[in-house]
Amino acid sequence: MHQLIKIIIAILITVNLFATEIEPPPPIVFTKAEIVNTSTTRIPFKIIDHLIVVEVAILDKEGNFIIDTGSETLILNSVHFKATRAHRQDGRTKSGVYNDIENVKEKYLDVLSIKDLSLEKLNADVIDLSHIEKIKKIELLGIIGYSILKDFEIFIDMHLNQITLTKTDKYGERLSKKVYAETIHDSIDIKLKKHTIIVDALVGNKKVKFGLDTAAEYNQLNEDLDSEILAYFYPSKKLKLTGASGQKMKVLAGKLYRVKLNDSIYFGPMKTVLTNLRKMNSAFSTKLDGILGFEFFAQKRTIINYKKRKLYFIKSPIIEP
Amino acid sequence: MKIKRYHIFLLFISFVFSFNSYAQLKSIKGYKIIGEDVIFVFNINDYPNIKYNGDPVDNVFVSGEFNNWAKDQWPMSKANDSTYLLTKDLSLFTSDFDWEFKFIINSEHWAEPSSDFENIADAKTEDGHRLMVYNLKLYSAFITDYGNISFKLKGHKNAKKVILSGTFNRWDESGFKMKQTEDGWKVTLQLRPDIYQYRFIVDGNWIEDPQNPSKVENEYQGFNSVIDVQKNVKFQLCEFEDAQTVILSADFNNWTEQDFKMTKVDGCWVYNQKLSGGKYHYKFIVDGNWITDPENTVKEYDNEGHINSVCMVK
Repeated sequence: MHQLIKIIIAILITVNLFATEIEPPPPIVFTKAEIVNTSTTRIPFKIIDHLIVVEVAILDKEGNFIIDTGSETLILNSVHFKATRAHRQDGRTKSGVYNDIENVKEKYLDVLSIKDLSLEKLNADVIDLSHIEKIKKIELLGIIGYSILKDFEIFIDMHLNQITLTKTDKYGERLSKKVYAETIHDSIDIKLKKHTIIVDALVGNKKVKFGLDTAAEYNQLNEDLDSEILAYFYPSKKLKLTGASGQKMKVLAGKLYRVKLNDSIYFGPMKTVLTNLRKMNSAFSTKLDGILGFEFFAQKRTIINYKKRKLYFIKSPIIEP
Repeated sequence: MKIKRYHIFLLFISFVFSFNSYAQLKSIKGYKIIGEDVIFVFNINDYPNIKYNGDPVDNVFVSGEFNNWAKDQWPMSKANDSTYLLTKDLSLFTSDFDWEFKFIINSEHWAEPSSDFENIADAKTEDGHRLMVYNLKLYSAFITDYGNISFKLKGHKNAKKVILSGTFNRWDESGFKMKQTEDGWKVTLQLRPDIYQYRFIVDGNWIEDPQNPSKVENEYQGFNSVIDVQKNVKFQLCEFEDAQTVILSADFNNWTEQDFKMTKVDGCWVYNQKLSGGKYHYKFIVDGNWITDPENTVKEYDNEGHINSVCMVK
């Protein structure tokens, strides 16, 4: 009956970059941004179910975009945007985790301006995202992915419900010293496989490799893992998942215990689904043991620096009981 | 009762369930929400299988999705011969989820709700067969007489059904049934601080709230009514006991340097302020000196390079 739409979307889209062409420049503007200095902007977000959603103005439209480190490009929803060129079939099939996404069209954006920050020669894929709109009951203009995020240091702060974007130089150094007034208390190294952030972690005391994805509503754990790792997964129910392609599948949901990144960065039990990541692993030609998503960021205020290949952490305040 | 078997059943509760509510006859039981607290209430008279079981009730626990169905983690305290209570902070239940829970007696017997509960969810096996047990549901935005916001619609006396629908339940068209009162219709909800849009559905016709002047245009050439749910925030500074004046200066008071004088209560400087959901910057001015809140680690630079303390209302 009502409101029990317990369907999750794990938007993990792998797409290929391709040559850029230039068309008249439609800027993207984060409509509620707070400008800190010439290189730093804070953008408030809403949490809709477990998705990070920001308000953006683009091409005379205003609406919601999902922040998704798991997506390689900027994606525009074909429901609201028409592709600027004919659809090309040749080798342009985008592979998603659960199903191949077909009918990808391309749209080129020349300038992305985030108030004073601007990027040139961007391209966007135009994909039908109406199934996400239907399930989440929101109007969704698109998805902001790696191609936009990679030039910034990104602070995803689930305490203050905001993202801080800071311009960096080519070595990943911040252009301003006055970006974070709070202390960075810890950091870890990451690897990048294509656009995917990979972290080494421990479940219990077994080593695992996790992908990090801001738009994975639930953590995902590969069902083929060693039983010593799966022993820390306590299933509790079946869920329906909807992939970016709209195809539904059933997964076993539960909680994953004893996850830590090192001796000082550890996590409380995280809502996790058990799933088969084979398809995604073949898309990345790597072997991931799982994906960490919303729950990771909910528990750790995290800064992603793609150029330095590092994650930094800022302490969460102790909230009164 | 075979506890082990029931426990396994509970592990396979499906999200897909049917939930018929007959608001006139049934009531939400098992918990209430007062202010910032969730109070779980176990009344033995509501659970025939416990009442007539014959075993003495030594202790009662709350077990649910929020504590992974632990049978001995959330003990309740005895209020009288038939009632047990447990108070938890509402902020523990922050996600958009509906939580399912049950009471368990002596860490052994699950209390089975009788069918006159409004908030029961059929527990089902993984392939959808109904189990002959119910779980109680805890809604994150829901109807409660103890809620913080009452919605009223005057008139429409001959209407058969009036529904409240809004951004708080993503425009669900059946969940929040209003009750007829002497001069109209009413429903009370518990909502977190935020700005919400809503409308009433009177026998299928959507209308805005005629009593509420604040509204925004919607995509159907009509209007949605708007409500701003606020929360009281207590700012306090437990140092500088000998100071003459301490001012709370913040973006919500336009960085006043005089108006928001804090008062000394039990050695701490205090100011209470109602705030809407969102992020706020503030500082204290202690005898003319601007300081950040020493107890709050959350700080940000403003666009002139100054550091302010940050308070998040959500």
